[in-house]
Amino acid sequence: MNKARRYTRGLLTIALAISSVTAYGQGGQKPAAPKEGKPAVGLAPSKTINVNFKDVKLKNGLRALLVEDHSAPVVSVAITFDVGSRNERKGRTGFAHLFEHMMFTGSENVGRNEYSLWVDTNGGANNATTSEDRTLYFATVPSNQLDMILFLESDRIRALDVSQESLDIQRKAVQEERRLRVDNEPYGKTEEKFQEEMFDNFAYKHSVIGSMEDLNAASLQDVKEFFRIYYAPNNAALALVGDFKTDEALAHVKKYFEGIPAQPAPAKIDTTEPEQTAERRFRMEDPFARLTQLLIGYKGVVSNTPDAYAFQVLNSALSGGQSSRLYQKLVKEKELVTNIFAFPNSFRGGGYYQIIAMVAPGKKAEDVEAAIDEEIGRLQREPIADWELDKAKNSARRGSIQSLQSSLGTAIRLSEYAVFYNDPNLINTQFQKFAAVTKDDVRRVAQKYLKPSNRTVAITTPAKQRAGAPSEAK
Amino acid sequence: MKRMFAITNRALTAALTLALAASVVLAQQPQTLKGVVIKGKTPVNKEALKVTLPKAYETKLGNGLQVIVLENHKLPTFTMQMVILSGGLNDPADQPCAAQYTAAMLKEGTKTRPGKQVAEAIESLGASINANSGLSSPTSSITSGGLTENFDQIMELFADVVLNPSFPADDLNKLKTRAAAQLRFQRSQPEFLANEMFSKVMYGAHPASRVAPTPAQIQSLTPETLKQFHATYYKPNNAIFAIVGDVKPAEIVAKLEKTFGPWQRGDVPAPDLPKVNEPGASKIYLIDRPGSEQTNLILGNLAIERNDPDYYALDVMNQVLGGGASARLFLNLREDKGYTYGAYSGFTAAKYRGVFRATTEVQTGVTKGSMDELIYEFKRIRDEKAPPDEFDRAKRTIVGSFALQLESPQSLLADIITQKIYNLPADYWDTYPQKIAAVTADDVQRVAKKYLDLAKLQIIAVGDAKQITDVMKQFGGVELYDADGKPLQSPSAEAKTN
Repeated sequence: MNKARRYTRGLLTIALAISSVTAYGQGGQKPAAPKEGKPAVGLAPSKTINVNFKDVKLKNGLRALLVEDHSAPVVSVAITFDVGSRNERKGRTGFAHLFEHMMFTGSENVGRNEYSLWVDTNGGANNATTSEDRTLYFATVPSNQLDMILFLESDRIRALDVSQESLDIQRKAVQEERRLRVDNEPYGKTEEKFQEEMFDNFAYKHSVIGSMEDLNAASLQDVKEFFRIYYAPNNAALALVGDFKTDEALAHVKKYFEGIPAQPAPAKIDTTEPEQTAERRFRMEDPFARLTQLLIGYKGVVSNTPDAYAFQVLNSALSGGQSSRLYQKLVKEKELVTNIFAFPNSFRGGGYYQIIAMVAPGKKAEDVEAAIDEEIGRLQREPIADWELDKAKNSARRGSIQSLQSSLGTAIRLSEYAVFYNDPNLINTQFQKFAAVTKDDVRRVAQKYLKPSNRTVAITTPAKQRAGAPSEAK
Repeated sequence: MKRMFAITNRALTAALTLALAASVVLAQQPQTLKGVVIKGKTPVNKEALKVTLPKAYETKLGNGLQVIVLENHKLPTFTMQMVILSGGLNDPADQPCAAQYTAAMLKEGTKTRPGKQVAEAIESLGASINANSGLSSPTSSITSGGLTENFDQIMELFADVVLNPSFPADDLNKLKTRAAAQLRFQRSQPEFLANEMFSKVMYGAHPASRVAPTPAQIQSLTPETLKQFHATYYKPNNAIFAIVGDVKPAEIVAKLEKTFGPWQRGDVPAPDLPKVNEPGASKIYLIDRPGSEQTNLILGNLAIERNDPDYYALDVMNQVLGGGASARLFLNLREDKGYTYGAYSGFTAAKYRGVFRATTEVQTGVTKGSMDELIYEFKRIRDEKAPPDEFDRAKRTIVGSFALQLESPQSLLADIITQKIYNLPADYWDTYPQKIAAVTADDVQRVAKKYLDLAKLQIIAVGDAKQITDVMKQFGGVELYDADGKPLQSPSAEAKTN
């Protein structure tokens, strides 16, 4: 559930806005040659970073990606399953994520929570995360525990053992997660309603965390069915990165995973949205909020397309860091907001570009909106500056290189790219897609997507004043 | 997400040579923890991994600037940090957030560049500079990173920001306005309210009690205060320059001589820290957050200074009690009861006595059950020696985690800096695993008894007072406050509005 977390926590940190630039992930390869004359910052070659991976399809359809990396005595494993909240049916929102929790509650040879116990005990780290588009499981352990981690991962995919008791416990834990991030957080409910208002197709029209009602309805039978349909080896990609010999590691992967039977491919889901023809807008009162929040979303950008990369560049100019247009104009010059940030909320089936502003006390949300519109208008009319293009490309390049620091970062990207785009090598080619973006592309996508008729706007105001809790509604 | 990462304040990491002592053995016998079942069929390698780390290069410039260089050539990038060995703890009594705002203003303009130009220059390189100091921090730090090929340009900007800030009055005024609004935002977040009250209760009049400044304190800041703080404390003989990444020590030192060589040394006053007073008998501080869906709980005591020899035993005790998803608090409150999304313990240790605390957020309706379990676990770790398997696993967790730190050069460097700031022995991280291995179950019980003192336990609850006041009264005397820290006689009468 990293999405809700991204929305509702750390709202006031600049770092978040910057890191969100990497929402699509970036490539690890630098462009061919520096341009003559002008010192095109960051386009000069330094070292070639190329991830050499072995790409194997097991007999049961599991795609295995292996990278031998001896820089640290660790091994990371990431498994991406091609299932997320977009695969949920009506009445079972939140189920993909609830199921994720069930994967830690035991399997044929591994007891309840024994998975985490052994990873933790050996100084490792593990977790899992569910989004609209996928469910991802990951762990890093000292390299001498390769056998252990493959055993633990494979046992739960092969023979998950679920009980009503563990379902009831995890249901409660997830409901507390929902309370923590949605119900008890200022602006949490706005986020949820925002997504419901924006989309027409059920696939993306509901939150990943799901409703309390639907979580309550989830049954053991649902768990078993979901497991059979989606947790099949042919519906996943496993990446293994670290301090091992590839051939040996591959033999271990086959030993543990190849015997898991394949299943019929899950039905394809249709994420097609009818074209939006008019602006959508709502207001909400929030009893926890003390400042007015403005939320704007422009729909339609499909991840890993030329438009998506152009949007990353656009986003860098508009909201990347303190040099960005929104920061300089709305925070510093006009003092309309205490903070503002934006990022492409990337979905495989078409996500949205999101802008979040905390309206400064005494200022009006309408004025903030008008100032944002003015900046969007500029992007539609005029090309961005040379330095802004440099900034976007250099940030993308640094981010992509930095993400290779850890074996886990590399493993996650490989497995996600394999599942999302059937292209794990995107880890090496993505930077070229950034490098190909022109100023015209940026203007084109600004004109194409950033139209009032294509947006949803939410204004959240503090609820009426309470004793001992002065608030300001403007 | 399955769980959020546990917050512990152990500076994990960095042993230069790590060898696991024989006393840390893996036990796979059945045990009695709640919320977990060990089938014992998993092929666990019983040997703990031995890892070796490169040593950092260290030197000192003529003006007293300490320099640490940790080479790591995996990627063509670097991260550097200037650690000023003065921070919020050095704030003048009448300007209690000077260090924080001095740091925050560094990027807002230098003698030759307006803030906007600083931001454009650094960000167009895909690089970053960040500066901060906490109100109860012993240091201020400026961190920068980028691609090695841009090193010279980034270093020039970094040095300008550290050495030549201009503290423009207009930008300070704007920052003050934003900061006041952010304070208001923070008051809508229950975890902020809980942490603020906890620090206040634990530290009283000590500077460490401060989590956030008051609006009045922010308002009273002037450029002169910040200039004064900068002129007094930002001195080479009061700083550590540390860098990690794709760099060579000889080249770095040569460049530092050019950029930071002319920096003039000066006399730096040491902070006059008062002793931390014990907060006294156990009490409950309830912050009313009408309509709250959960109760945020913090239960804690004063603990130890950073150089206390009990640090190792406390680290192990914390690991057993609440140091992650395989520890007692998580397994009991979440995995056995389903009361919460997470329950952890953690401790801080500084130049003054730190705290040991347990934290969790639970559904309002199970506040009592959660308090019962927290107290039960506190008592259990005091009254009963940890079973050998559980105790061994905790030690192995701590020692084993060093291998993963090798992937994070930044955290290795952070450990070296910690060693410097707290004047820990030069071989501190070399011997850390052996020290952990030497901790006995008796040690763990001893520090539990000493630092989990139930008679002095301070309890913070943030939640809907109408629903939880009577519940909390069952655990001790309750003082009631509103979300702005004002004492209340009774729960807010206002109904929930949604």
